[in-house]
Amino acid sequence: MSNTIDNTLVVEGLSGGYDRFDVIHDIAFRVGRGEAVALLGPNGAGKSTVLRAITGLLKHRRGTVTIDGTNVVGMGPHQISRGLAAMVPEGRRLFVGQSVEDNLRLGGMRLRKDRARTDQLLQSVYDLFPVVERYKAREATALSGGEQQMVAIGRMMMSDPSLMLLDEPSLGLAPLAIADLITALQQLRERKSSILLVEQRVDIALEVCDRIYVLSEGRIVDEGRASDIGTEGRALIDAYLG
Amino acid sequence: MLQVLLSGLTVGTIYGLVAMAFAVVFYVTKVVNFATGQLLMVSILLTAGLVRLGLPDWLGVGIALIASTVLGVIIYFVAVRPVLKFDRFSFAWLVSTLGIAIVIQATFAIIFGPASQPFPRGLHQIPVHLPGATLTVQEILTLVVGALAVLGWELVRRKTLVGKLGMAISTDPEIASTFGANVTAYAVGAFAIGGFLAGLAGILVGPITYGNPYLGDTYGISGFIALMIGGIQRPAAAMGGGLILGVLSIAANSYIGAQASDWFPFVLVLLVLLLAPNGVFASGDSLRKLFRRRSSLTVGGRA
Repeated sequence: MSNTIDNTLVVEGLSGGYDRFDVIHDIAFRVGRGEAVALLGPNGAGKSTVLRAITGLLKHRRGTVTIDGTNVVGMGPHQISRGLAAMVPEGRRLFVGQSVEDNLRLGGMRLRKDRARTDQLLQSVYDLFPVVERYKAREATALSGGEQQMVAIGRMMMSDPSLMLLDEPSLGLAPLAIADLITALQQLRERKSSILLVEQRVDIALEVCDRIYVLSEGRIVDEGRASDIGTEGRALIDAYLG
Repeated sequence: MLQVLLSGLTVGTIYGLVAMAFAVVFYVTKVVNFATGQLLMVSILLTAGLVRLGLPDWLGVGIALIASTVLGVIIYFVAVRPVLKFDRFSFAWLVSTLGIAIVIQATFAIIFGPASQPFPRGLHQIPVHLPGATLTVQEILTLVVGALAVLGWELVRRKTLVGKLGMAISTDPEIASTFGANVTAYAVGAFAIGGFLAGLAGILVGPITYGNPYLGDTYGISGFIALMIGGIQRPAAAMGGGLILGVLSIAANSYIGAQASDWFPFVLVLLVLLLAPNGVFASGDSLRKLFRRRSSLTVGGRA
């Protein structure tokens, strides 16, 4: 379980919450190198809290969270952002009043002294999302929901992290935009990125990820390979998640 | 008329610098530092005291500016950070910054006494005669410094990565921190800039007001009113509020009565709060919409 050499992320005995009340209890899971893993669960299961614990936004946490061999429990978010992990937050939360390109460049803050690498990453975002390049001078929050999601993913890519975290990226998107999102996530997979996807939509998780963990009331209650889950399994998980 | 306008702009620049000091701190931390006026008083009294001890004017001014900047940072660590650490969403800073303002004022009253302290007259002794108005070199310097403060702020904010990261922290500090922004360092920087701007306002207004420990209240309130008029969200808008307040206060003094500037700012801020609750220069407020509607009607009429 805790083989950190083959794993980008190893979480062991993670508990934490808000105002000294635990929301997640004794969580353990891993994300292998180049692997995409989904964390499924109903509203209030603690999925976003797990992501906040990994990124350092959750101050009250115990256990170990090892990213690329470094235990990040006790580190602040700005320290974890130095190449270890980057996140697409729920609701995208792009920087208001700033252009698409500025949002992307702010995502690449940690590499600001390496101009060549920043330009290379920016080009790779534009290659993946041509629409983002087309609208690079526009104010980011003026774009459609789907386009904003592309910018949010691009902003995450710009920090060139070992681990990419996505919190409910399909939330509030139109069906066409969701199809684009799935394509984008699959392209990220082809680039051998390590991904932890938090989702309520089982179909998206199964289409994109290698393995899934099911979270309920702050505990992991099930796990398995996405390919092993048949139509019946999907229906069961759907019913379970409500 | 020109004299009223230029004098108003000069006084308004002082109010504007204090309002900017409030706004820079608010921009990054969403905290209003109610000890801002006291930082202006500190720079005046320290300069006065150091020059009286025999230091050259320029050295006294330099040390006073450093002191108000450092005191701004100390206020952050003593009165703001501990209460935000306890509860990030509480308004306890309201009481703690007011408390530290009283402590600073009382300390300087004990050291310097309540009487007015002479401030180096410097450039205020040199008049510049213009057609229809007379200013001093100090007043012209005040206008230039005010313009440079706004230009410098906007240039850094819009054109540099540091400024853009500051904007990101202003709108979403949590997400900015996940992309490498050290939010605490920015907060310290904001309190330092706030302290410097308030100190600068003190140095510029010192030759006119001289120094006493209670000046902080007067200029703190005027700066806060300017902030409400211009808009708290943008430091450049706060300077705009200062200029409006300055010009209209001097105009009220000249055309209504000698004491009109005592009550006029309060009437003005009430009007602004009714018409444009977010400030005259804030985006989306009713005053701006009113102007836009009028201009579009005019364009429509011509067409």
